Amino acid sequence: MRTLLKSYPFRVLVQAVFTIWAVTTFTFALVRLMPGNPIEILVEQILTNEGIAYSEAYDRVAASFDLDPDASVWDQYLGWLGDLARLDLGTSITSPGTSVGDEIIRFLPWTVFAVGTGLLLSFVLGILLGMVMAYYRNSSLDYFLSLFASFMTGIPNYIWGLLIVIVLGVQLRWFNVGAVRGTYDPGLEPGLNLPFLLSAFQHALLPIVTYVVSALGGWMLNMKSSTMGVLNEDYVNVAEARGLHDSRIITAYVGRNASLPLFTQLTISIGFVLGSGVVIEEIFVYWGLGHYLFQSITVRDYTSMQGVFLILTMTVVLANVFADLTYGLLDPRVRVSGER
Amino acid sequence: MRLKLLSFFWTLSVLLLTLAPVQAQERVLNVAWPYQVPPTGHFNTFASNGLLLGQYQDIHEPPLAILKWATGEYEGMLADSFGWDADGSYVVKLVQGVTWSDGSALSADDLVATFRIFKLRGDTVWKSLTGVEKVDAQTVRFLMDAPSSLVERLILTTNVRASSVYGPLAARVESLTPGTEAWDSLLNELTKFRPEVPVSAGPYAIEPSSINESNLMMRLNRKGFAGNLQKFDAVRMWNGETEVVTPLVANEELHYITHGIPPTTEKVFAQQGIDIVRSGMNNGPGLYLNHRVYPLGRVEVRQAMAYAIDREQNGYVSLGESGVAVEFLTGMSDGLSGAWLADDTLEQLNPYEYDPDRAAELLEGIGFTKDGNGQWHDDQGKLLSFELTYPQEYADWSAAAENAAAQLNAFGFDIQLRGVQFQQHPKDIYEGNFQLAVRNWGLGDPIPARSFLQAYNRYNGQGELAGEQGGGMGFKMNVTYSGGALNVFDASNSSAEGVNRQEQAKLVAQLALSYNELLPAIPLWERYTNNALNRNFLQVPAEEDPIYANFGGGTDNWMSYLILTGGVAPAQ
Amino acid sequence: MFQGSANVASRFRQLVTLFHQIRANRAGFIGLLGLIGYFILTFLLPYVVPFDDQPKLDEITAPPGSRLQLAVHRDNAERFRTLEDLAGETVGVVSQTGGLLFLKEFAETTDTPPKAKRYRWRSRISGPGIEAALKDVANQKIAATLVYSQAWKEAVEQADDPAFQKLIQETVVISNPTLGPMSLLGTDTQGRDLASHIVHGGRVLILTALLGGILSTVLAVCLGSLAALFGGVVDQSLTAITNLFLAIPRFPLLVVLAGLISFENTLLLGVLIGLLGWPALMRAIRAQVLSLRERDFVEAARSLGLGTPHIMFREILPNMISFVAINLIFAITSAMYEQIGLVVLGLAPINDYTWGIMLFFGRTRGTLFNPDGISMALSPVLAIALFQVCLVLFARALEELFDPRLRGK
Repeated sequence: MRTLLKSYPFRVLVQAVFTIWAVTTFTFALVRLMPGNPIEILVEQILTNEGIAYSEAYDRVAASFDLDPDASVWDQYLGWLGDLARLDLGTSITSPGTSVGDEIIRFLPWTVFAVGTGLLLSFVLGILLGMVMAYYRNSSLDYFLSLFASFMTGIPNYIWGLLIVIVLGVQLRWFNVGAVRGTYDPGLEPGLNLPFLLSAFQHALLPIVTYVVSALGGWMLNMKSSTMGVLNEDYVNVAEARGLHDSRIITAYVGRNASLPLFTQLTISIGFVLGSGVVIEEIFVYWGLGHYLFQSITVRDYTSMQGVFLILTMTVVLANVFADLTYGLLDPRVRVSGER
Repeated sequence: MRLKLLSFFWTLSVLLLTLAPVQAQERVLNVAWPYQVPPTGHFNTFASNGLLLGQYQDIHEPPLAILKWATGEYEGMLADSFGWDADGSYVVKLVQGVTWSDGSALSADDLVATFRIFKLRGDTVWKSLTGVEKVDAQTVRFLMDAPSSLVERLILTTNVRASSVYGPLAARVESLTPGTEAWDSLLNELTKFRPEVPVSAGPYAIEPSSINESNLMMRLNRKGFAGNLQKFDAVRMWNGETEVVTPLVANEELHYITHGIPPTTEKVFAQQGIDIVRSGMNNGPGLYLNHRVYPLGRVEVRQAMAYAIDREQNGYVSLGESGVAVEFLTGMSDGLSGAWLADDTLEQLNPYEYDPDRAAELLEGIGFTKDGNGQWHDDQGKLLSFELTYPQEYADWSAAAENAAAQLNAFGFDIQLRGVQFQQHPKDIYEGNFQLAVRNWGLGDPIPARSFLQAYNRYNGQGELAGEQGGGMGFKMNVTYSGGALNVFDASNSSAEGVNRQEQAKLVAQLALSYNELLPAIPLWERYTNNALNRNFLQVPAEEDPIYANFGGGTDNWMSYLILTGGVAPAQ
Repeated sequence: MFQGSANVASRFRQLVTLFHQIRANRAGFIGLLGLIGYFILTFLLPYVVPFDDQPKLDEITAPPGSRLQLAVHRDNAERFRTLEDLAGETVGVVSQTGGLLFLKEFAETTDTPPKAKRYRWRSRISGPGIEAALKDVANQKIAATLVYSQAWKEAVEQADDPAFQKLIQETVVISNPTLGPMSLLGTDTQGRDLASHIVHGGRVLILTALLGGILSTVLAVCLGSLAALFGGVVDQSLTAITNLFLAIPRFPLLVVLAGLISFENTLLLGVLIGLLGWPALMRAIRAQVLSLRERDFVEAARSLGLGTPHIMFREILPNMISFVAINLIFAITSAMYEQIGLVVLGLAPINDYTWGIMLFFGRTRGTLFNPDGISMALSPVLAIALFQVCLVLFARALEELFDPRLRGK
């Protein structure tokens, strides 16, 4: 029993590694099943621009890409896996010689920054407002906030993004549409200096606002329903009977227990939001991982896509592992599953 | 909550106001083209993802000459003089005194190096060329077996690259044979070659340190070609596709775009006082039919469909003023038809003016019948029901497909629409896996053959892609029309051979007449550019100036021509 | 027989009570009314309102409220107010416009229709047809012309040619600004009525979302409670499968599947979304069940020797019904977004004309940047958003009904 318990984290990790491998293999096949391939897409462009024969254009493009169209998928897979074992994600197909790993390292921090800030802000705000709604339920404040939250979740994040650009940027001119593009102002030295940090924050602000606005409503409603359940639990009544301070009850009893199920959702949503940033980053020309992924999908750059998907998969899996391992810490009632 | 959001936005706007970059007091030409930021993007303009910047390649790697479409004459840029030699070779003499941005002088070596790399890459021009020789410091001779106007065009539209960058690679091409392992490894070396700095012979040079996701700067290269004619200190190239650059134009940060903008957006620009400049692109969407699907293979059916679709309406709802109905259905643009066909030939062409009654007559003539619901059945009693596919991402083509289907349905067909991803759609056509489809007719090229070959080659069987049933739309190339018998594929190819325009025009006339009668595909409308041009910031010739009609909207671009001749200035 | 009717009667009474309970909850009642409204809008109205597929060149991207007008010469402003007044007179209509369609319809209802003079939409000789028609009215060559408010605005109020503008503004007046039917929501980029598209564009979407949401919730509840209740190998393998599913990037998966199947039946998309959508909820359900399993009342039931089905359906499920209910709603909303997102990004094949496709075309055809035309993108957005709001409000009411603990205090 003790050794089994001890090995639980180990087992979770082994399972995680297996999951990552399986999903990676699956995506490897998946990207190759997408309609069109990198060569054909460039061939189309050449055909439209130059009007030469298909075979001629095909040969020219095939020669300029880092992809042997005759190599079997199996060979490609083994080669990629071999590289992966050496922590090498390979080189881009459409831009031969460019390392996919380097590109991901370049793009990832921006996405993590924007998505992470947005997600955390919306989570914290959502928890607070959700609790407010539960405490003042059936009041006009509750109705207003419920309507507001329902409406905010009712509009997809890409629409929020477009509305912000069009209404605030183009119509009201609250900000300069061109100047907030990119991840920081040109000419600044990335590092721990004030101008750079300010500039990075300024450029990330609109994507963050979009993430917050589109996710907030969901957290509010979830937290409200969760809090209402907890408010009726015996231990809350007991705590009240014991004459504990309201603030203590709210934080230690209600808040903690009500937000518990939401933590699981938070960890899970990290991976999703990383992936769903694609459109937001396109709209704000905020060049993070989502933009890189979108570009790669558009031109069907297999190796780049595989690289990004590997990162996304790893994030999701590791977030789950984290949720699994910390769940017991948050809810002492839960014993580790599987052992009776 | 609302308060919180509000204050959030206010903080945001205050931040942005204080932090907005101070616009330097320099004269900058603001234009746009989508590009990739290094390291995905790079300065090797021979490899994919290189920073070519589309038509703006002309201002950092200028072409030898630009064609005036209206007259068919080339105007020399980097080429001082050019022309056919008596022995059938082509001779180009470069201008004197142009310096690359790395300090080396423009010379014949640059042109030779460029063409050697073309050979390594397997470019089309080398199907005709047999050699490229340096004659003297500024002169190059192109050798070939069969001179043709096509080769001339391919040579003269070449954007010249620096031998100081590509010379070493180019020098190794001569000693190798295509197809050998050494050749392939050199080719591989070329695709992975990454010059450290971009080297320009044009009036502007890319400044590597300025490249970011949003835009890049091209600085004045005073010693480059036309460098002393420039009225700007720099060109700012904004990055992005239509949806991304539209707000920039509306905000007057970006003053000229060549992106195809939807008519709805165009109206807003027009209200803002931004000019829309239109010139023909020599191509547009057409209705392709799978001739293997009965009864689409019958010429009367195709003619009836041409009569049943109002092309003017189709163009207007798809691309507004820039969707101009094709008047002569010849497989090439009206501009090319006018330039290549004699008046009596033009008169023989059937304009297929919108006429549903005539269409009905044609169908009844071959035994088709209309039922009580007003729907047509073929002579075998089958409902005229087809699926029409289109690339769903192309806003104007999707609208054209939607409208064509609505019109055909109103006439009594039963058309279902299906959008297909743009990566998949052409493949479906090549493989003959469609019934009706919207694809392009014509090509942005002044040589008629290339327009015809879109229908007769690209969409009519593509070698290995053809599959078992034969590829594409399955149109039989050996045709008989009222003017006689013709192999349209061979005739198209022959019409681009040689340098005798009279001979070429004869073939072009036969091709145009046969196309007009047989309608292998039905052209709907010609796409005109709808470049947004903000005259509050840019001084360019007035709207009536012939320059806009003189040059093409794509290659041989009027904006490139204006910059290379010093014709653009900041507005006063 | 008798028992049966008694049953029916008690069922009916239950329903009545349920209805009254919902009515007591104001927000929930609004949600319910909204959902009924949506049912009428998307399932019944399509039988009444025909789908408008007639392109009308003179009212392209018109704002809500645009309508047909009668333009007459200033001197005739009193005489010609309706088409009846114009019997025997000549009325100008431009080909392929709303005016032409309207006049045709009118001609069928009367014996003395006005004579129609047709102008080409765009003529190489006389220029735009609308301008030519208005000029003829100004010069009293024809009695009146039918012109859409949007076309009037673009041709006269925003005219490029000041001379033309002056001529028209001095001589031509609108004698009847409310002649034809009004476009409630404006028109799309082909001049077709958006309201009719909204009516016809919701049914498939809602069915697909319901299918996807219900399927994924049922899967999540079944698998989640199975895993938590049985534990051991069952739990481990189910969790492993869930993690695998969660980690598969859905974006390309849906793109690939969307490309492979051509979605002849759009509902298939709902099944696909349902099959892919359960893992996140399954984990949450599993956590809930794990937590509930350790509660006293479950321990008590277990010690009484009650079987797993009893514990599941009698003890645990009622205790998390609110959680399941709200998550079912969220599953429906997210199934809605998933399908619309796919369409809006151009990743799903397009066949039916739904709200998603309106939004996709509205976006790719640039209406977002045009205040007049933004209705094409905004109408479906509002239709979708309000539907979601109604769902969420209704879920609140249900939640409080099912969970007695939430009613008190």
